[in-house]
Parts: sequence; structure tokens; C-alpha cells
Amino acid sequence: MTTPFLKIEGIRKEYGPVVAVQDVNLEVERGEFLTFLGPSGSGKSTTLYILAGFDNPTRGDIKLNGKSLLATPSQKRNIGMVFQRYTLFPHLSVGDNIAFPLKVRRLPKHQIDAKVKDMLRLVRLEGFEDRKPAQMSGGQQQRVALARALAYDPPVLLMDEPLSALDKKLREEIQHEIRRIHQQTEVTILYVTHDQEEALRLSDRIAVFSKGVIDQIGTGPELYANPATRFVAQFIGDSDFLPCQMLNTANSRATVSVGGSVFSDVPLHEAGKPEGAALMLRPERLSLTREPLQQSLAATVSDITFLGNNVHVATSTKSGDPLSVRLPFGHPAISGLSRGDSVWIGFDAASAHVFN
Amino acid sequence: MPSVVALPEVATVKRREFRSTLPALLFLALFFVVPVISLLLRSVLEPQLGLQNYVELLGSSTYLKVFFNTFMVSAVVTIVSLTIGFPVAWTLAIMPSRWAAIVFAILLLSMWTNLLARTYAWMVLLQRTGLINKMLMGLGVIDKPLALVNNLTGVTIGMTYIMLPFIILPLYGTIRKIDPAILQAAALCGANRWQALTRVLLPLTVPGMAAGALMVFVMSLGYFVTPALLGGTSNMMLAELIAQFVQSLVNWGMGGAAALVLLVVTLTLYAVQLRFVGDESEGGR
Repeated sequence: MTTPFLKIEGIRKEYGPVVAVQDVNLEVERGEFLTFLGPSGSGKSTTLYILAGFDNPTRGDIKLNGKSLLATPSQKRNIGMVFQRYTLFPHLSVGDNIAFPLKVRRLPKHQIDAKVKDMLRLVRLEGFEDRKPAQMSGGQQQRVALARALAYDPPVLLMDEPLSALDKKLREEIQHEIRRIHQQTEVTILYVTHDQEEALRLSDRIAVFSKGVIDQIGTGPELYANPATRFVAQFIGDSDFLPCQMLNTANSRATVSVGGSVFSDVPLHEAGKPEGAALMLRPERLSLTREPLQQSLAATVSDITFLGNNVHVATSTKSGDPLSVRLPFGHPAISGLSRGDSVWIGFDAASAHVFN
Repeated sequence: MPSVVALPEVATVKRREFRSTLPALLFLALFFVVPVISLLLRSVLEPQLGLQNYVELLGSSTYLKVFFNTFMVSAVVTIVSLTIGFPVAWTLAIMPSRWAAIVFAILLLSMWTNLLARTYAWMVLLQRTGLINKMLMGLGVIDKPLALVNNLTGVTIGMTYIMLPFIILPLYGTIRKIDPAILQAAALCGANRWQALTRVLLPLTVPGMAAGALMVFVMSLGYFVTPALLGGTSNMMLAELIAQFVQSLVNWGMGGAAALVLLVVTLTLYAVQLRFVGDESEGGR
């Protein structure tokens, strides 16, 4: 078996009685773009800070090319990082900021100058060399920070919610830049965010963090189509949960009863909270009819929202649980539909999931 | 520049603020500016119209020595205060806030304690049979007591102690404003502790150091109580000289001349500081 490029082995971090990271295990391939996705307090940033060397884990190890990094202080890890806040050195020009890591490494001047030029070209900020950080916009500052972090060719680049201070449009623009720079430099990137769209847009794989552990690692489509836990199902894509009764289970498939109808062959996931079984349905995978189908749920329309190319129909099942359906604009089922109408909602059992 | 757009509004606010400061300005004019000007006028009017007081002041080696002493002591006090104050301010800034509060309380209490009491305390510590000499002799470090008081050494020690808070407080403010993430970024960039200190931390604290240093230097130039009590009769400082002209010799002309020289130096330094700090805030965040 080959040694993985970067390996996080059973990392645990306690701050007094608080457990920030419970048990994180992860293998990252060279050149991969892996995102830590999770809500605040899920341990994703702490894990990143441990990789940066700002914190030592209570337990566990991190290995780069098979060698432990824990004994190496931050300044010798040769890891790049872009922070959430603007961390350019305010007293130095853009050029000097990018040159900083090279100067502390005592590289010859012509080499530094050439590298600074390369980096400015990479982040498309040629001609900004002599500006001070305060004279630049937030997006430009983060691009300079990216150039500074890549100037010394780090094997791993850490990014801790670098775009959270920017507005949506600028964020998308820089996401695009990051994607391009990743392809161009082939650097391994570990990216922290709480924004699922950002994670889906950027990453090769996503590690979903919840309460100090990784619930699931996979590509965006994998997480969407096959969420391992209820938390992942909620975090990636939209979903509704209906309480259901489990009739029998076999080979990770379950037969469940919801609102009087029986659905069989629904994918079953053992993991999740112990509070009884729930059927997870995605609004875009549901069908809506006025007549009962063979396998369908009775519901009442509570609201209809027009969302451009989609129409969002909010309904409530007989048991009073909310269930949303998203249909393309102009779908025949919607014409003439109004609040209070009785409808039948159907779905393909394979697209639903049962969480125990 | 955005400030150009905002200018009219700022001007209105400034005008309104100016109006509310009028009573204070009038008070200052009546009880400060008028007496100062009259004193300065006496320097060119007494004993007769002319610059004779300035000629005497700047032409005599005795008086020049007083100027030299004053600048020398002020410079040494400033440098020593900076050297001691920087690590203290740094420690305070990174210390858990509960402990920092205790250190601040000690710092402020000492600032609020009567100046005379503090200066006399230093006399007790520094005199020939004082605590410091006794201790050093008891330890066998020295045979004869060191002359630590009634000379410029005593003045420097006493004034450094008094000036320290004026360095520590602005520096603490500057250091606290530095985002710790900037130092983390420096570390990840490969900077060792020394490089992070000299290339990032120190340059970022320059405004605080400049503000503190100039304040201490200017205050030291005109300081009276500590030099008068801890200094000797042979090595005078400028404030003592002015006091002597006015109180003992009743020579208002010479006193006024010395005061003007001090004022000009102080104002020049203040102008330098304004210029310097102005540049910093423009280039900084």
C-alpha cells in the first residue's frame, strides 16, 4: 500500500472540558481540492489550525508523505494559508508582502523579484506591486494573500473561509479564480467553509463536519445522492423529513409506512440520531398529482412560490409535517393549483432515504 | 478619494464641534495664552528692549550645559523607558485579561500616587545608606556605596520610573490593535520569532512607540519636581533653571527667554510628531 500524501489520524482536541474535535480521520491525495464543510463549532477550523501548527492536538497525528508534522513548528512546516480576516502586512507593499516568505528564506534578490512577478501574474494583479494593502479592495487583498501563500511553493495550501467577508458576486468571481489557480498550480488545497454552494462549486471532495467528527467524505454528487447521515442530508441540498414506521429491513433497504402508504425498497442508513426512523425526501425529486397514485402521500397545499425557472410548492401532510415539492415552471400539475388544494405526492423509492 | 466626497459634511461637523469648544478656548486664552505671551514679552523687554537675555542664555557655557543636561537626560529617559516599556506592553497585551487588569491597576495606582511621595521614595532607595546600596554592599558586589542620587543618574532613574506608564499605555493600545492572525500568517510564511518581531511586529508598533517616545521626551524636557529633588545643585535641568531665574533671582527676562527656548523645542517636536503620525495613519490600515 502506498503512503497517502497527507494523513490525519484520529485527531482529537480538547480545550478544558470542551471537545472541539472528537476524532477526525482523513486521507488527502496530492493535488486534491478537499473542503471541510460544516456549521460553526463543528471542528473544521480547529482541524485546519492543527494542520497549520497553531494548535497541537490532544491526541492523534498528522502525516505529510508519511512523516509526522506535529513536532515541526508553524514556521518550518512550509504550509501556505489564507485566513478569513485580511492578514496582509499593512506596512508592506503588495510586492513586499508576496516577497516576505522568500526574504525570510534568504533567497537571492533576482529569484525573489522573478517569483513576485510570477505570483502577481497568477492572481492577475500585475501592476499592483507598489500599492499598500489599505489601498486595495477586500477581494484584491485576499488574492494577494493567496499569492503570498503560494510564493514558496507549499505542498499544502490551507484556506480558512477566505471569502466570507466578501459580497456574493465578488465571492463567485474569486471562487472561479481559486479554481483556476488550483488547476494551474496543482497545489493540494484544504478549504474550510460553512457554505455548501461554495463547497460544491470548488471541491473535488467534501468532508462534512458535525460535532467534532467527519460524518461523510465524498464528492458533491455522492453526498447528495447518498447521504450517510441525517445531518449530511440536511446540509447538502434541500430536504424534508417525515416520521415513518419501519416495517422490515433487508440489505440496507427498508420497507416503511408513512401516512397510511407503504413504500418498499427505500435505501436505509443506520447512522443518525436515535429518535425514531425518518424518511428523507428531496423537493426536486418529488412528483405532484391531483389524483392518488399507487405509492403516494396525501397533502394539502399551503403555499406556492414562483422562483424563476422553478416553482416551489409548500404542502403539509396529513400528519401535519411540512413537505416541499419543486417543479419546473410551466409543469402541468401546477396550472390552476391554489392554496388549500388536496394533492398527492409521489416519489421513486430509490431517491428517498430512511434514517434510523 | 472618498474623503473628498465626504468633505462638506465633515466641515459642518467640525464647525459645530468648534462652537462647543469655545468656552474652553476662552478660558485657555485668558489664563494660559495671555500669561505665556506676557512672560515671553518680558524676555525681550527686561531689563530693556532687545535680545540681550537670549544672547546671555545661549552664549554662556553654564547655561548651555543646562540645555545639554536636559536633552541628554530626556533622551536617555526616553530610550530606557522604551526598552523597558515595550516588553511590558507586549506582555500585558498577550496576558490573560484578568492578570493584565491587575498589572494595570498597579500601573495606574503608581501614576495616581502623589509625585512628591514617589520621588521621596526613590531618595530613600537610592541614597548612600539606602536599600539599593545596602543590598549591593551586603552581597559584596560593591565596597563603597554608589552615588545614585543628587546627580543625573538619580534624575534619570526617577524620571524613567515616572515616565514608564506614558510609554506603556499607548504601546499597549497599538499592540492590542494588531490582529494575532497577522503574526500567525508571518509564522506560516516561515518567519522565525526574531524575523516576526523585527519585520512585522516592531514596524507595526512604530506609531505607538513614536507617540509614547515623543510624549515622554517632551514631558522630560520641562520636568521639574524629580530633577529638583533627585538631582544635584551642580547639574541642573532647564525647568530648575527657569524656576531659579524667576523665584530666587527675580529675573523675569532670563526666565522668559529660557521658557521660550523650551517652548520652541517642544512645539517643533510636536509638529514633527503630527507629521509623522499623520503619514503613518495614511499608510496604515
